[in-house]
Amino acid sequence: MEFKQISFAYQMKGTFIKELSGTIEKNKVTSIIGPNGCGKSTLLSLLARNRNIDAGSITLSGKELSEYKAKEIAKKIAMVYQNNQTSEDVTVEELIRFGRVPHKSLWQKDSTEDEKIVAWAIQCTNLQSYKHTYLNELSGGQRQRVWIAMALAQKTDILFLDEPTTYLDIYHQIELLQLVRKLNEEYQITIVMVLHDINQALRYSDCVILMKDGKIIASGEPREVITEKNIKEIYQVDIMLNTEKETGGSYIIPLGI
Amino acid sequence: MNKRRERNKIVIYFLLVSIFLGSMIVYAAIKGSIPISISQLVNGLIYGGDEQVEVIKDLRFPRIIVAIFTGAVLSVSGVLFQAVMRNPLAEAGILGISSGASFFTFFGILFLPGWYISETLFSFIGGTIACIIIYLLSWKSGLKPLRVILTGIAISAMFTGLRDALINICSFLNISVGATNASNLTMKTWEDVQIIVVCGGALLAVAFFVSPWCNLLRLEDKKIANLGIRIHWVRIFVSAIAVLLASVGTSVAGVIMFAGLIIPHIARQLIGANHYILIPFSALSGALLLLSADTFGRLLIAPLEIPASTLMAIIGGPFLIFLLRKGDKINGI
Repeated sequence: MEFKQISFAYQMKGTFIKELSGTIEKNKVTSIIGPNGCGKSTLLSLLARNRNIDAGSITLSGKELSEYKAKEIAKKIAMVYQNNQTSEDVTVEELIRFGRVPHKSLWQKDSTEDEKIVAWAIQCTNLQSYKHTYLNELSGGQRQRVWIAMALAQKTDILFLDEPTTYLDIYHQIELLQLVRKLNEEYQITIVMVLHDINQALRYSDCVILMKDGKIIASGEPREVITEKNIKEIYQVDIMLNTEKETGGSYIIPLGI
Repeated sequence: MNKRRERNKIVIYFLLVSIFLGSMIVYAAIKGSIPISISQLVNGLIYGGDEQVEVIKDLRFPRIIVAIFTGAVLSVSGVLFQAVMRNPLAEAGILGISSGASFFTFFGILFLPGWYISETLFSFIGGTIACIIIYLLSWKSGLKPLRVILTGIAISAMFTGLRDALINICSFLNISVGATNASNLTMKTWEDVQIIVVCGGALLAVAFFVSPWCNLLRLEDKKIANLGIRIHWVRIFVSAIAVLLASVGTSVAGVIMFAGLIIPHIARQLIGANHYILIPFSALSGALLLLSADTFGRLLIAPLEIPASTLMAIIGGPFLIFLLRKGDKINGI
């Protein structure tokens, strides 16, 4: 998936996303990070065609994104938000079944293949024992897994996650990120996620896109992008980048502003 | 195991409501100012020639059928409004859509009196205008439940006022506007039956057909869009059906509040929120409720009558208060 020179403006406001170009690499985990309001989520919604770009071009498998039908996109890209609402009377399984909607016509019943995929999505996200539970009876972490399961049921090659860990405690954050990693490794799903935690981005992604004020400051492998200089530039925070002795993984420590 | 029990429960509720409705139809047919026995009724219907049965056929039967269909269309309209606005209190009466339809019905009577479908057409226009105003005024705030209801109250007051003004002007000019100024089910003819059975029946079928959309509307708009569904069309289409259902009911039976509120709520408690089941069940229960209200209103203080709409208001008012009281469970109220 590639995007070239894309721009976007919210109504009544000036241009917000300014001539961004970049590539989302297939079968990799890409994290978008940057300060609040820098356009991370907007970029994600443009790539998912939730919003239409004003200028530039986005291509998915060599074809212009704007030329796809809505249902075709829904078969290629699934999206999970940080905060999802639904009425309180939906069960986990019902919700996950909605993921099959793009693959069927309005009145078509679930085929055995649909059943299989739903069961697979439930198993991937470890929700077997909650199938008939109502969504509002679940914890935040479990609920986020349900939304991921619904996205999985869409059977897309690409999964977008918009701040998936924001409202979760550390256990559920790690659980979710490990799930994302597993989905990428076992099922070769291309993942693009907006993250806030730089250390998590370092640890769980193959590529990082750094953004500020609607622009991409740097992109590439995590350790090339997350440098003391870049972080200082976009967050105005002094950090120290360390390498762990045992695993060779990197981590940052904020020093001050 | 769980699923089978669920299914059995649903079947039982359907059977129960059907039996009640059947009994109510018979009861409504034999009771009243001309009381007759069931056997006399059956004989008269099969062999003809019974004068009393003929009178009942002309007076009571249309009324029963109109009550049944009005109850069904208003209830299903409520189900659709609640789904499409994601608002548990949305209902044609509360939203002012019935008042809009009722006001415009008058134009039909005044300007195209000869054409019997004109009232229905005009009521469609009125209902649609009211609905468009609601969307225009509360869209920006994201259709917040409270805002929608307040807008509805304003619209309802406006159209009710306009209607009353029009009635006053007409009576001043000695123009007879017929029985439509009363919201009740007396003096219904086979012509009314034709309108509500044909239009109402067709719309109910369409409503049932869009039940998968109604189920999907439990998700947020952005989520529905991600599934490749054109959410704006879904919203417009479902709203339109809801408006038409309410308008056809209003054009025939006048403004009847709360049917679209009470029935969907109870139905959801009993059989769940799956619209494949909820829509037909609400239609059936709505028919039962309105026919009961009309029949008891007719019999309670005979020979005087309490209009069904009045009885519905008496039941519905407290019900709305009850819903508001448990409002903390309802998002945004």
